Amino acid sequence: MKVRGKGIACMYFGMGNTGKPNPSSAFVELLEDGTANVLCGAADIGQGSNTTLSQIAAQELGIPLEGISIISADSAVTPESGVSSASRQTYISGNAVRLAAQDAREQLFVAAAEMLNVSPKRLSAKDGYIFLLDRPDYRISIGEVVTHCWRKGKVIMGTGNFNPGILPLDEETGQGVPYATYSYGTQVAEVELDTETGEINIIKITAAHDVGKAINPMSVEGQLEGGASMGVGFSLAEEIVLENGRIKNPNFHEYLIPTALDMPDFDPIIVEAAEPTGPFGAKGIGEPATVPVAAAILNAIADAVGARVKELPNTAERVFMALREKVDK
Amino acid sequence: MKQVIKVTVNGEYYEKEVVVHKSLLDFLRDDLNLTGTKKGCDNGDCGSCTVLLNGKPINSCMMLAVEADGCEILTIEGIAGGKELHPIQKAFVESGAIQCGYCTPGMVMAAKALLDENPDPSETEIREAIVGHLCRCTGYDQIVRAIKKAASYLNKK
Repeated sequence: MKVRGKGIACMYFGMGNTGKPNPSSAFVELLEDGTANVLCGAADIGQGSNTTLSQIAAQELGIPLEGISIISADSAVTPESGVSSASRQTYISGNAVRLAAQDAREQLFVAAAEMLNVSPKRLSAKDGYIFLLDRPDYRISIGEVVTHCWRKGKVIMGTGNFNPGILPLDEETGQGVPYATYSYGTQVAEVELDTETGEINIIKITAAHDVGKAINPMSVEGQLEGGASMGVGFSLAEEIVLENGRIKNPNFHEYLIPTALDMPDFDPIIVEAAEPTGPFGAKGIGEPATVPVAAAILNAIADAVGARVKELPNTAERVFMALREKVDK
Repeated sequence: MKQVIKVTVNGEYYEKEVVVHKSLLDFLRDDLNLTGTKKGCDNGDCGSCTVLLNGKPINSCMMLAVEADGCEILTIEGIAGGKELHPIQKAFVESGAIQCGYCTPGMVMAAKALLDENPDPSETEIREAIVGHLCRCTGYDQIVRAIKKAASYLNKK
């Protein structure tokens, strides 16, 4: 018999390394053509940090995204930004880049204010121009200001350094502040289960995650979809089998990860509750996306058949055994 | 033992001496320096080494270079028109269908093989066409969307 069930799972996840300083830093240099170079140690391993960090710099400087060149993760030239782990780069390196861009922008505004003969407080920047807040048509291009500065012997160069506000954990009591902020998420899984065989078909996953602010919504969706696929694999199939210290399934035809046909219908919901300490309110989403998937699936199985699988992966065999155990009772 | 093979790769003709036990993948990467084709598992499981052999997608790690003698091969390096991206590549970039990028060349070649045969595939047909291509990053949704978009680009032409 085929039965269906729904399950919910919630999670929260700390941004950055636990109870330890993990600073990021960045340099931003403005060029005479009105573009900017951003240097940051953050390694883009596919999650899209180069794009996200460039967007943050562009927004802060008022330069179009095409005008930002980023050099990242080259220890010969980029300043330290820690590792791409702990879902930390958007939040921590994003802040470092924003601070460096702010620093450069302040210098730029001082020079522009002199040129326009106004107070720097009256200025704003957008689309490559610095303009008066109350008279947007009164403007000067960023490139012109940088060129002016250069002729007077000044290079505009900002630095940024951000360390999340943590307090180390006390070794005896375990007390402290492990993370400066947390990312929150709730997922719902809908499954169909064959009570004869234990076979599970995941019909749909809905994933709602609070990312503070989605700097790049397409990247956030990509992280959510990827996280769901890792969670589905973790839940249904992925298991490293050891025998006498040797891995028995070291190949992809033995260690199965989800294929394009294994993935259920997926509905990502981006929740934006701005984080006051995040760059433009942003937080991380890398790992959080994977966290609740398996729990939601297990809850959906329990909802469908009233039996609990207590070991992952919840293979057909384990589901079948859980069903038998329930019948035996 | 070595043998001379004659192949056309991305429109260029090669006559090369090759060790008989060398895979087509290693021949492309090491002898022709076409490293766009990725070596993922070297086992026929992951699909990242996919190239088109006489228009059909194959795992180049599962074939010997000498078996490709006389064949026409298309790799990821050969699909763009100069500096202009192929519509499939363009759709991948626009759809966020690339994360770490390791599966991407194989995915693009699989998409090309599909769209050459079937210009207007359904979602299931797209998923079936890339089922032999493992992706750890994306969850496949943006890749499926990219292939749909590429189909619409190609059909407009």
